[in-house]
Amino acid sequence: MRVGRSLPYVFLGPALLVLVILAAVPTLYAVNLSLQNRTLSAPQAEYVWLANYLKLFSDDRFLNALWVSLKWEVLTVSATMAVGIGLAIAMFEAATRRWRMILSVLFIIPVLLPRVCAAFVWKFSFHPLYGAVTWPVRALTGQTPDVLAHPWGAMLTVAFVDVWQWGLFFAVIILKLMEALPPQPIEAARIDKAKGWEIHRFVTLPMLKLPLISLLLVKAIESLRSFDLVYVMTRGGPGVSTETLDMYAYSQGFIEAGNISYASSMAVIMMVLTVILFTSIWKRLNK
Amino acid sequence: MKHLFSTASLLAVLMATTAQAESICSSDLRVLAQPRDGLTLLEDYVDEFEELSGAGFEIDYLNENDRRAKSQADASTVGSYNVYYVDEANLPLFASSGWIVPLDGYYPAEYDYEDFDAGMRSVASYDGKQWFAPIQGGGDLMVYRTDLLTAAGLEPPKTWEEYVAAIRKLHDPDNGVYGVALRGQRGSGANVWRWLPLFAANGGKWTDETGAFAFNSDAAVKATEEYLELFKYSAPGTQTGSFDESTGAFRSGKVAMIVESAPLGAMSKDPSQSRVVDVVGFAPPPTPLPGSGYAHGFAIAAKANPEEQDKACAGLFVAWATSKEQEARRLAKGQPGELTRKSTYESPEYVKTFGENLSVAMAETGARTEVLFWQDPRWQELGNTWGIMLEELITGSRTDVKATLNELETFAKSL
Repeated sequence: MRVGRSLPYVFLGPALLVLVILAAVPTLYAVNLSLQNRTLSAPQAEYVWLANYLKLFSDDRFLNALWVSLKWEVLTVSATMAVGIGLAIAMFEAATRRWRMILSVLFIIPVLLPRVCAAFVWKFSFHPLYGAVTWPVRALTGQTPDVLAHPWGAMLTVAFVDVWQWGLFFAVIILKLMEALPPQPIEAARIDKAKGWEIHRFVTLPMLKLPLISLLLVKAIESLRSFDLVYVMTRGGPGVSTETLDMYAYSQGFIEAGNISYASSMAVIMMVLTVILFTSIWKRLNK
Repeated sequence: MKHLFSTASLLAVLMATTAQAESICSSDLRVLAQPRDGLTLLEDYVDEFEELSGAGFEIDYLNENDRRAKSQADASTVGSYNVYYVDEANLPLFASSGWIVPLDGYYPAEYDYEDFDAGMRSVASYDGKQWFAPIQGGGDLMVYRTDLLTAAGLEPPKTWEEYVAAIRKLHDPDNGVYGVALRGQRGSGANVWRWLPLFAANGGKWTDETGAFAFNSDAAVKATEEYLELFKYSAPGTQTGSFDESTGAFRSGKVAMIVESAPLGAMSKDPSQSRVVDVVGFAPPPTPLPGSGYAHGFAIAAKANPEEQDKACAGLFVAWATSKEQEARRLAKGQPGELTRKSTYESPEYVKTFGENLSVAMAETGARTEVLFWQDPRWQELGNTWGIMLEELITGSRTDVKATLNELETFAKSL
């Protein structure tokens, strides 16, 4: 009996140990760092306890970064889910099995590209003088639209690249989930003369509720790590209009001031907010 | 007495160097740098340095931001590198923190430090001492399209007023030509860098004689307004672009005139990088604009070189890596962005490669080059904050220049 009870711990032990080393150690280090006044230029530091956290809430740039991150989350998560579900339904309804395969392969390619490469490619594509995307506007109107020079234009452009990578990928996942559904409820709805959108609204999507919630949370967590995309495409600009929390933390830690303790306090706030927010969302949606 | 002893020790080391050069280094040097074609080329000659000093070297490369972060972290803690790659932006921090030592006494005289471009030497100085030997850098050049100026019946402008008037006249977006290309992207090394000459030309100073902030002045307001006015004629894409975007627009034939960092001169004469090779002319910036001096180079680390002989060894590497011979090799390999010596700009090989016009302009612009940023460890923070505000002014998120400068002053006082 004893052996039977301890066996799960034997299997779980190594994995938990790796998890503790990989996750807990850097997290505790970041928390410890955030309670000090350490900078890159002065290795000697003192404990200032919560001073960094108090300073954050009177820092306009941090509050702006929080707001930008919130906008970014709502925009990219909702657009990714809408694009993913929309394309998946379109493929499910209109494409043959062969075309579904071909489109699935094509839709997976963007997410396989490293984010930095995708950001460079799209940044150049949106260039007002040479970009392929802006070419029709130049050719037809003679205008040179510079979308990255406007606060909302920059935000929407960077979000577009994010959705281009993840929305298409999610479309493939959702399509495969739909294909795996039992056909009987869908056939029953068709016999009852339900319209195409009604079948998905009332049958297929409710049946996929749990995997869709999982996808939504995965995307929400992924969207929080938008640093590479933002850094390459806008560096947080124009001004601070696309400066997300991770971009601001990096700026404070490494580009501008070397305030690594202050940057760590932002990282800790981000982590706490993420855990609280996603736990409550998960519980709410999972009811 | 201690100083005398150090000097005597150093002399002994240098004499030993002459007599028995191979014994100056006891172990391989570790160098932290950022990727440069010239440094890749340098690694081909590691045997030459080994023969000269008795030891080899190993270079670790990181891109600019990572190199800055890593070198700060290394220098302030373990000190594992003998030679650091430093630049104009982090020199005050490295020098004032004692992480590097002045070159004086460790840079062998025969390598001719005075031959480096005057502008780069002024950037490499802090607190009256020279701290690094330049690998790349320079001041500013005015680069213009000879065909467009001739067609418009204009002479290359010599003053700021003539420059602005010529830009207005040559600005013809309907035919795909823009008057100028500026830098709008936020950053102390981006938009602020191109704004600095205007600030200085209008008499602006970062601090007064007592060290108090003095930048919030009529000079700053006028410089900013002039910069914003000029942006009406700047090529699309430069409002949030930096050196690459503005010089890219010029080299692709979309821009009539530009004042930019000196490496643009040779880049615009390189057929692999430029479509205006045959129709490009060069001159120093129009008066009263000074050149915005910048430089990157090698400095001797303090912590990893505790003994005088260690410092002499690192000094020998710094001198050898930036020597006339290495520069001649870079010129022969067609690496124009990494030339730093006056003797190179005036050499027959340089004139043959890039033309006499560029050679003369490079020599003249060195005398006009100044350190325009605030030489203080807090510059990065102040300069980058001003860069964000300036980008907002350029892209229209802000409109009140004076109120913006007031806000910057409040921020500066909190540093």
